[in-house]
Amino acid sequence: MERKERIKTHYPDYDVLSQQDHWDDHTREIVLKRLDIPGQFQKLTGDEADLIRAMAALFVDDARSDLLDYIVKHFDNKLRSDKGESERKPNVPPQKHLFKKGWRALDHLASTRYEQPFPRLSAEQQIALLVGMENDTETLETPDGETVPAKPFFNAMLTETVSAYYSHPLVWSEIGYGGPAYPRGYVRSEYGLTDPWEAKRDA
Amino acid sequence: MPENSQDPIQHNVCHYAGHRYDDLDHRLYPDEADVVIVGAGAAGGVLAYELSRAGLKVVVIEAGPFWNPQSDFASDELSMSTLGWQETRLVDGNDPLKMGHNNSGRGVGGGTTHFTGVFLRFHESDFETKTRDGVGEDWPITYQDLEPYYDYIEKQIGVSGPKKFPWGPFRGPYPMPEREPLSANAEVFRRGCEKLGIPSVVSPLAINSAPFDGRPPCINRGFCNQGCMPNAKYSGLVFHIPKAIQAGAEILTDSMVTRIELDDKGKATGVVFTHDGVEYRQRARVVILSSFVVETPRLLLASAQAGHPDGLCNSSGTVGRYIMPHSSHDLYGRFEEEIRLYKGTPVLATTQEFYETRHDRGFRRGYTLHAHGTRPVAMSKGLAASGVWGRRLRDTMVHYNNYGRITLVGEVLPHADNRVTLSDEKDEYGLPLPLVSFTYGQNDHKLIDHAVHQMKEIMKAAGGSPEFVVSDTAHLMGGTRMGDDHETSVVNEFGQAHDVSNLFICSASVFVTSGGGNPTATVMALAARTADYLKDQLRQQEL
Repeated sequence: MERKERIKTHYPDYDVLSQQDHWDDHTREIVLKRLDIPGQFQKLTGDEADLIRAMAALFVDDARSDLLDYIVKHFDNKLRSDKGESERKPNVPPQKHLFKKGWRALDHLASTRYEQPFPRLSAEQQIALLVGMENDTETLETPDGETVPAKPFFNAMLTETVSAYYSHPLVWSEIGYGGPAYPRGYVRSEYGLTDPWEAKRDA
Repeated sequence: MPENSQDPIQHNVCHYAGHRYDDLDHRLYPDEADVVIVGAGAAGGVLAYELSRAGLKVVVIEAGPFWNPQSDFASDELSMSTLGWQETRLVDGNDPLKMGHNNSGRGVGGGTTHFTGVFLRFHESDFETKTRDGVGEDWPITYQDLEPYYDYIEKQIGVSGPKKFPWGPFRGPYPMPEREPLSANAEVFRRGCEKLGIPSVVSPLAINSAPFDGRPPCINRGFCNQGCMPNAKYSGLVFHIPKAIQAGAEILTDSMVTRIELDDKGKATGVVFTHDGVEYRQRARVVILSSFVVETPRLLLASAQAGHPDGLCNSSGTVGRYIMPHSSHDLYGRFEEEIRLYKGTPVLATTQEFYETRHDRGFRRGYTLHAHGTRPVAMSKGLAASGVWGRRLRDTMVHYNNYGRITLVGEVLPHADNRVTLSDEKDEYGLPLPLVSFTYGQNDHKLIDHAVHQMKEIMKAAGGSPEFVVSDTAHLMGGTRMGDDHETSVVNEFGQAHDVSNLFICSASVFVTSGGGNPTATVMALAARTADYLKDQLRQQEL
């Protein structure tokens, strides 16, 4: 059976960062900062960072280390922020605790079942655990016996991972997203039209 | 001090002829104002402007910051979630609501800093759903009571829209020409509607189609939800609040109101608020709560005191009850050709063909459909929440530019059990966190099913194949509803509390029903009506 090669981008020649001179200063600062990966994270241990990388690689189906490092940084920023989380269910711990406890509990579950921490499991084993949390069929417990709600933990990890991944300019380029658009705006926004600087489909 | 005094937005924000103290011991009306307004959003802005230009001493207290669009806003989804009210709310019920950026605002302008600018009037039927359809409750006012205020606000802020509008009592023309060009997503939506014989229009928008009030026309940047940087979109931040300051109003920002105080005769004397950890008091002849659907009941319930053991204005027991979001499912359809959902104003095409009750559909009331652009983070988060992740998510998002989207704004019927209460958890001010409970009713589910089917038909007729339906809600209304009967409502038709005569509530929280369209036009029209009433009452020394 013939299999079509999987397409990773329709816009191989487009780099959204090549347009940064046309962005306002505030936006440029925000976007470029995403490319700086600190040598070490403030609120994450090495094991936690590895666990986030392993989960994120499956969530976004992408194992490139620069993208995964940015996702880890996004979680570090979340833990450092004193902003609220907009909404939370009464039976779910505050997000910072949900993450910290969830990571410990997931590694604990992996070690108990497979005698390896989560990042060392095979992709099949990892996916089985993720799907178990998604379907609420796995029970998460920290090594001290504290229960962590599995599905809310899964959902929060997935949402934050995806939010970070699709905020990275490399991913913007690959999906042909125009990115920041001030002060330039769009002159040709109608059906079938593109401005000269926009991504042109060539794959 | 603003660096550029020619900037039409910034030149009026500083108090005392261009100088503003950082501390709150130097205030414009330290002893007593005529009116203190809690919240600088869609309603608070209108009230502040209309009352201050009438010569009244107005103070607005806003929990969030005084944004500068040029230095605080960005063309970026992730960082601009700060425009929503991010302080944690507890949510439960069978259909727990998504809060934050989804339905609320924080900072001057409130939700108008990140709304899509859709500016639809309610229809006559919205004000009498009980009489006409036997569901919900009638408002104490009719469409005709609000009509002059819709007219007034639309002209005042220069709403753009079609010459002819096919639904409801208002048939156009709008004060400013309709927007053009359209986005590809709006074009294919209209094409799909046309094929099915469904009328559609270029959406009425609080977004400039031509220069207006010193602000430029829209540049189709498409970041309405992240804060408009060219100031082409209306917000309280760029329109009503600067004008109110020019007319003598004071805006106290980063200040959280924690309590309403009464004298021993039961009249409100003002509010207590916290700024930078220090408590202050603002006295006023009249207190207006324009603090939306969660914070308004929360503040009333947290202000329980002698004579008001169940919370202020709650003798009816309805404070916090009958909250309603709009059902707001998104349909993503894939096209052969590129649509590029990021381009152009997000909502540019609309149909209200399904707005009114029809007896062959199996449910009461109706809905609005919009062509609705979106960006990679919102789209991928929506898909992820619907169970699409991993390889399937990436294979979908690689075709981001080939997706079109239609979004529902569906009426949700009021129910007493959908409500805001106080939880046992406390926030940084020592106030109990609000608990927001919501469950859809049967009629709501039937309406959603009908709408999703219709969205798929339009998508197919437009040439797209429907692929993903993402369940979502938008907006929030009710919680302190208006009515003639003090036993079943919190305020009268002017927003005046039944229990405390100089306490007013004016925001989406006074809505009796949700309507089947975006609520901001109605919020602002109600605010203009309350302002008129208040001016009369204060002039006649009735308050």
